[in-house]
Amino acid sequence: MNFALDEDQALFLDALEPIATAPGTDFVTGTDWGRFDWSETLDRDLEQNGYLDVAAEPSLGCLAAVAMVYRLAQRPVTAEYGASALLRPFLPDALPRPLAICAGDGGAIRFLPQARAIVRLNPEAVHWAPLDAAAVEPVESLFAYPMGRLRADPAWQALDCDATGAATRWRLALAAELAGTLRGGLDAVLDHVRNRRQFGRPLGSFQGVQHRLATASVGIEGAHWLVMKAAQSLDPGEAALALGRCQSISAPVCYDLHQFMGAMGLTLEHPLHRWTYRARALRSAMGGAAGNLALAARLRWGGA
Amino acid sequence: MDFAWSEQDRVFRARVRAFLARELPRDWPQIARHGPGSPEQTAFSLEFCPRLAAAGMLTPHWPEAWGGEAGSPWRHTIIGEEMWAAGEPRGAQYMNVNWIGPTLMHFGSDEQKRRYIPPMAQGKAIWCQGFSEPEAGSDLASLRTTAVADGDDYVINGSKIWTSYAALAEHCFLLARVSGDGAGKAGIAIFLVPMTTPGIEVRPIPSLIGHGDIHEVFLTDVRVPAGQRLGDEGEGWDIISHALANERVGLPRYELSIRALGAMVAALRRSGRFDDAVVQMRAGEAASACEAARLLVYRALDAKWRGKPQGADASLARVAVVAADHAVSEFGIDFLPEGLSGLSHPDILAHHERAIVSGIAAGAAEIQLNLVARRHLDLPRGE
Repeated sequence: MNFALDEDQALFLDALEPIATAPGTDFVTGTDWGRFDWSETLDRDLEQNGYLDVAAEPSLGCLAAVAMVYRLAQRPVTAEYGASALLRPFLPDALPRPLAICAGDGGAIRFLPQARAIVRLNPEAVHWAPLDAAAVEPVESLFAYPMGRLRADPAWQALDCDATGAATRWRLALAAELAGTLRGGLDAVLDHVRNRRQFGRPLGSFQGVQHRLATASVGIEGAHWLVMKAAQSLDPGEAALALGRCQSISAPVCYDLHQFMGAMGLTLEHPLHRWTYRARALRSAMGGAAGNLALAARLRWGGA
Repeated sequence: MDFAWSEQDRVFRARVRAFLARELPRDWPQIARHGPGSPEQTAFSLEFCPRLAAAGMLTPHWPEAWGGEAGSPWRHTIIGEEMWAAGEPRGAQYMNVNWIGPTLMHFGSDEQKRRYIPPMAQGKAIWCQGFSEPEAGSDLASLRTTAVADGDDYVINGSKIWTSYAALAEHCFLLARVSGDGAGKAGIAIFLVPMTTPGIEVRPIPSLIGHGDIHEVFLTDVRVPAGQRLGDEGEGWDIISHALANERVGLPRYELSIRALGAMVAALRRSGRFDDAVVQMRAGEAASACEAARLLVYRALDAKWRGKPQGADASLARVAVVAADHAVSEFGIDFLPEGLSGLSHPDILAHHERAIVSGIAAGAAEIQLNLVARRHLDLPRGE
């Protein structure tokens, strides 16, 4: 039992930091008040510097990849790093990226407008298809991700890989991104309530605010460690438990984040929505909290 | 980073489980029915703990000079989990092992160490903690019990309340005020008081958490030699802060919770009710709360044993443990109400009775939220 990063993991995360915080990864308001920032810079830097291959490196593995996704999700901008870091290194073919993932969740698909390949996860099999711009119709949504839908069913090709293992790694990617997203939103709100004064004192000095943010912090940190543990074990039940936990705490945490940001958080001039509307998109993934927690229970105790 | 137990730790846990399977009597569920503070369980602990000590499982984390093996601190965690999940056959003696003994090692006089630590290491000592008072619960520093110097003695007057194990304890780890009301934390001292000292009266308080568990303790002109004071007069608060830092993560309640949840699920499966997706989801939710709490506890312990600054890790863990306890308890109330009627596995009833106290005993969870807000989230104090 050891909660400290080893030397390789610490060096890796230290080296990630300049990329995670490079110019172009901060919040900027778009002229069209778009609801998401797709960071071409971040996406390119991660790929070109090999960060998205780290899960396949024995000295780092999925644990380092999950830690990276958790850190990147705390930034206000977004890029496609979850599937590329956790899933792509274990697929048999070197698929083009960015990747979009279709896992039977319904509705629009994240990153489809940027994706050069789509992977379909079913309980029994994994397929992929190449994409070009003509195959995708961008979809406007409230979610703080680029979203799209397929104009037609693509030419699916079977991938020779373990479908359960792929679903487990995808759950880890989703869970790490959701936990990091909640942490990013919490940090933004903490900064606000430390400085925003009302009734002659900082908002964050009121116990009614403190207890709810402290509770949110307990939830996020516990969920984060569940994800880290599952990243080491790669156990399907632990991955479902971790994702379900992240999804189940997401609703009350996001409610409190918006409450304490007040009307500022309702504007597109403030980045809070970048985190809370990414969290809303991730809440329903792979069956949502209900599906993932029920799956974790069945895998733990059995049951129909 | 590694979240798996070492092979040595796994072997040690198997040894502890084998010991429990061998040494707990057939009627242990009936003995344990009323909780660690009951007369039945206290009497049992005085037979059980010497055997545990002889097997090297009472204080393996203590220094060798005091009967321990200076072993891995994770062994202490493993013992705590297995004992609490089994209904805590150590009774009140878990407190000796966890914090009273280590506090005496750190702050006690040579005479106090020689007198009090060996019986603890042998599993033969029952202590209670005289902390809370009618007007000093979460605000412990406002306590009013006084200790007035009189020659070579102190004379103690006041009362304590919600005191576990007081009726059967041989000694009390007692907080009292040696300076005037305005002195606050600086005016508190600690006394090691034999419970047979004239002037001490103990009255049990009927409670929701098992019979014989909580008491009032009245102290009327209780005369205690100055040699029974632990540390100096002005050191009491610092000593108790040190002692409670060992306890802030609280008991390993998550282990009993996840096992009670497993017993609930087993009962639901037998009656076909676990095939309901809503029941499965709620069971998964409660399990996720338990496992998250477990990891936050382990992280706090890992940081402590590495000598890292404590920060608020233990407070985060304690809040999560309370939430996990209640998530499991509420699952049982919603889906297995017969568990509270004693018509199901005894662990379910025992878990419920222990869960209701988890956010209150050893200091309200809201105090831990205050600490998380200030120390972990860097939020400002009220102006």
